[in-house]
Amino acid sequence: MRGGADGLTLVPPIGDSDYWRKRPVLAVNENTVVRLEGEKRFGLHPLLAGLTEPYSNGDLAVIHCVGSEDSTRSHFEAQDLMEHGGVNTPGGWLGRFLRARPGIRGGPLSAVAFGKSIPECLRGAPSVTALQSLDDFSLGSNIGQFIEQLDSLYGCWGKDVALHSAGMDTIKAIRCIEKLDRKSYQPEHGAEYSDHPFSRGLSQVAQLIKAKVGLDVASVDLNGWDSHWAQDILMDQLISELSQGLQAFYRDLGQKWMETVSVVVMTEFGRRLYMNSSLGTDHGRGSVMFVMGGGVKGGRILSDWKGLKDDVLEGRGDLPVTTNYRNVLVPILERHGAHDLSGVFLEYELSPLLL
Amino acid sequence: MKFSRRQFLQLGGSTALATSVGCDSTISEQLWPYTGGPHQVGSSFFSPSSESIDLISHHLNRLTFGPRPSAEIQKQFFQKTNERRLSDYERVSSLGETTEEAIEAYIKEQLQPDKIDDSFCDFYLQCFETLVLPRGELFEYQEKLLLTELTCATLMRSVLSERQLQEVMIQFWTDHFNIDQSKGDCRWLKAWDDREVIRKHALGKFPELLRASALSPAMLWYLDGRKNVKENQEDRPNENYARELLELHTLGVHGGYTQDDVEQVARCLTGWRVQGRKSGNFYASDIGKVGFRKDLHDDGEKKILGRVVPAGLGKGDLDRVLDIVSQHPSTAKHIATKLCMRFIADEPPQDAVSTVAASFQRSGGDICRTLQTLFQTGQFQDNKGNKFKRPFNFLVSSLRATGATINRTNDSWHLDRHPLGKYLLRMGDAPFQYPTPDGYPQEISPWLGTLLWRWDFALKLSQNEIKGIKIDKQQQQEENVGGADQLIAHFLGRRATDAEQKTYGESGNGLALLLASPAFQMC
Repeated sequence: MRGGADGLTLVPPIGDSDYWRKRPVLAVNENTVVRLEGEKRFGLHPLLAGLTEPYSNGDLAVIHCVGSEDSTRSHFEAQDLMEHGGVNTPGGWLGRFLRARPGIRGGPLSAVAFGKSIPECLRGAPSVTALQSLDDFSLGSNIGQFIEQLDSLYGCWGKDVALHSAGMDTIKAIRCIEKLDRKSYQPEHGAEYSDHPFSRGLSQVAQLIKAKVGLDVASVDLNGWDSHWAQDILMDQLISELSQGLQAFYRDLGQKWMETVSVVVMTEFGRRLYMNSSLGTDHGRGSVMFVMGGGVKGGRILSDWKGLKDDVLEGRGDLPVTTNYRNVLVPILERHGAHDLSGVFLEYELSPLLL
Repeated sequence: MKFSRRQFLQLGGSTALATSVGCDSTISEQLWPYTGGPHQVGSSFFSPSSESIDLISHHLNRLTFGPRPSAEIQKQFFQKTNERRLSDYERVSSLGETTEEAIEAYIKEQLQPDKIDDSFCDFYLQCFETLVLPRGELFEYQEKLLLTELTCATLMRSVLSERQLQEVMIQFWTDHFNIDQSKGDCRWLKAWDDREVIRKHALGKFPELLRASALSPAMLWYLDGRKNVKENQEDRPNENYARELLELHTLGVHGGYTQDDVEQVARCLTGWRVQGRKSGNFYASDIGKVGFRKDLHDDGEKKILGRVVPAGLGKGDLDRVLDIVSQHPSTAKHIATKLCMRFIADEPPQDAVSTVAASFQRSGGDICRTLQTLFQTGQFQDNKGNKFKRPFNFLVSSLRATGATINRTNDSWHLDRHPLGKYLLRMGDAPFQYPTPDGYPQEISPWLGTLLWRWDFALKLSQNEIKGIKIDKQQQQEENVGGADQLIAHFLGRRATDAEQKTYGESGNGLALLLASPAFQMC
């Protein structure tokens, strides 16, 4: 969720009277907020209702007041730190994770970014491909010889190692996807993806997973959370897309696949508690993360909630970060085969959450 | 093994090189009452012959969007005789007795764009009617049309303009002062920003560029400056623009400012408003007009980067803030670093950055003098062939290198249906569409996922399968050109190795393979 998604709107702290008092205009509607069984402190935004299904099945956990140690409140610094998994660290945390697993070597479709470019978190992966649609992946018929020639040109290109690798990855990916039946994908279990690029991205991730093409990680962006003004209008649509996309993906994969697939939803920072002069909020600190599937002990909202009193808030009124995002990721990466995480999250003392 | 140029091209089932530029549309026919528009006929090569990229090719790679072959061009439709245009390589070579003199003369020429005759490009641009509209009249047009025309004009200027360094710097500043056209009234006002802020000051003085950008109605929309007001005592400023001004436009993120400075700058800039579209009784010419509202300004005392901005300056706060930030040494370093990334290397040598920063600071942000210093550094001369062409630059350099004919396809207002627009969107490098204020990245890594589309473009261009774009087969004149090795040297800026000659010659698709090759992705 690029742009800094407001955790106080996604998962409002309905049990905290200061929330209603200090956010009189932008608080969620008390009557329509989704209330969760056994959970007094927090609710879900009404448009996030699609997440109640995985939540009540115990397949979705929410972590509140989560974020990074970066306090610049700059999108680029915060995303950079979050995606790199450290300051001045080479490559991204997902990229390093793919290299850290013992005995596993990523294939051509090991890491796929659905979007126009490769996100920083995937930097340094053994192989990474950006595509906007699986249909994109064809140069037409009769290009076998051309690909052979490119193979030899890029294969012996020693000047720029990154360009050499990108060329080889692209060739491998073309050959692999050529074998896929791209046109006839039918989601299962009545799942309905919308036409939004976020939903479409998730449906193609599902297709790649089921086709067993060797996908290890995929990233899908849902952009535009930077709600400096008219926050309600701006967020409503994004929340609906988030909810619908995740719900469709959860249903489509079904229990069998969801046991082995972890979905992590994150954002670079949350937003200020107080509204600014244009019905929006400015950059803040803590926000929320969602973790779905992959054996997570869900149906819970994990938070070291310290309230919204002025002496608790950070800076000009920002939700403090009480859980570092790395500590959410660690148990997930461990379940996916990483044993030594010191090479993934460098120069940081980890104290993983029990997820 | 030697291949003749004809063999090389015939083997590809496709041929190359030479050109005409024109409009095939009804509008263009009205403009040019004969088919085809101004013509370029025939082409030839005068190519580099050293083993590594030579200095002239290096300068053409970096100061322009890539070298063109020579051509016969008909400059004006009423002229009956063709004029011979030398290849870029040949022309630059002829500007001085020695290579050094030639390059010096070329840089000097490019730094004075107003003195360069650009009538051929200007003539082509007459196709785009929205480029010259007064600000208010832009609002009478569909925003999609504005974006498509602005994007196509940017592409065509990059391909055709003789003022290449200016176009290169326009690309640079467009990213530095990035505005996503899709936000609010930027849909109309970005066209004005492009003309009156970026293009006007691209080779001017940085402080003037910065001031123009700060008061650009599109920027006031894009970074919410127009919403930054203090009406009541409890109003908090909207920090969006103030933060990016410091972080991206001037000092840089580690330039030594604090959250407090951001807030103080935001306070200084309260009260600047943009006339909106639906405000009732205004003449069209008032829409998008920027004005200052004293009653919405926080006129108290502020302190920025250790300097006091006294109370009561009103709109004068803006100039005070811009003076403080544009003269700050971190700004010189930040701009120098970005320029060196653009022109020298993704990880720019610190010596060069210091030299360029000093020149920037000494000259009060004179962009031409700063560039001149940069091009004279040893690091610029030494770092050849190490910059990856971002997708836009790959497309433009391909079109220039092949001397392709480009028609203005105006059958759609949608960029995503435009043959070149489609490629730009798929590779994520369509101008004016980068959503966040940091602008498109200049370094190689974010672009490595775009190879598939480059290869696709190389194939389709070489086979004349892109609508409205043509590589002319009939105008090939064997006698004008050398063998395949000359052609390859034209593309690569150096002599081909024996292995390369063999690969390309035997490929069966030499031109596509050249355009798709790793060497041609670099400059």
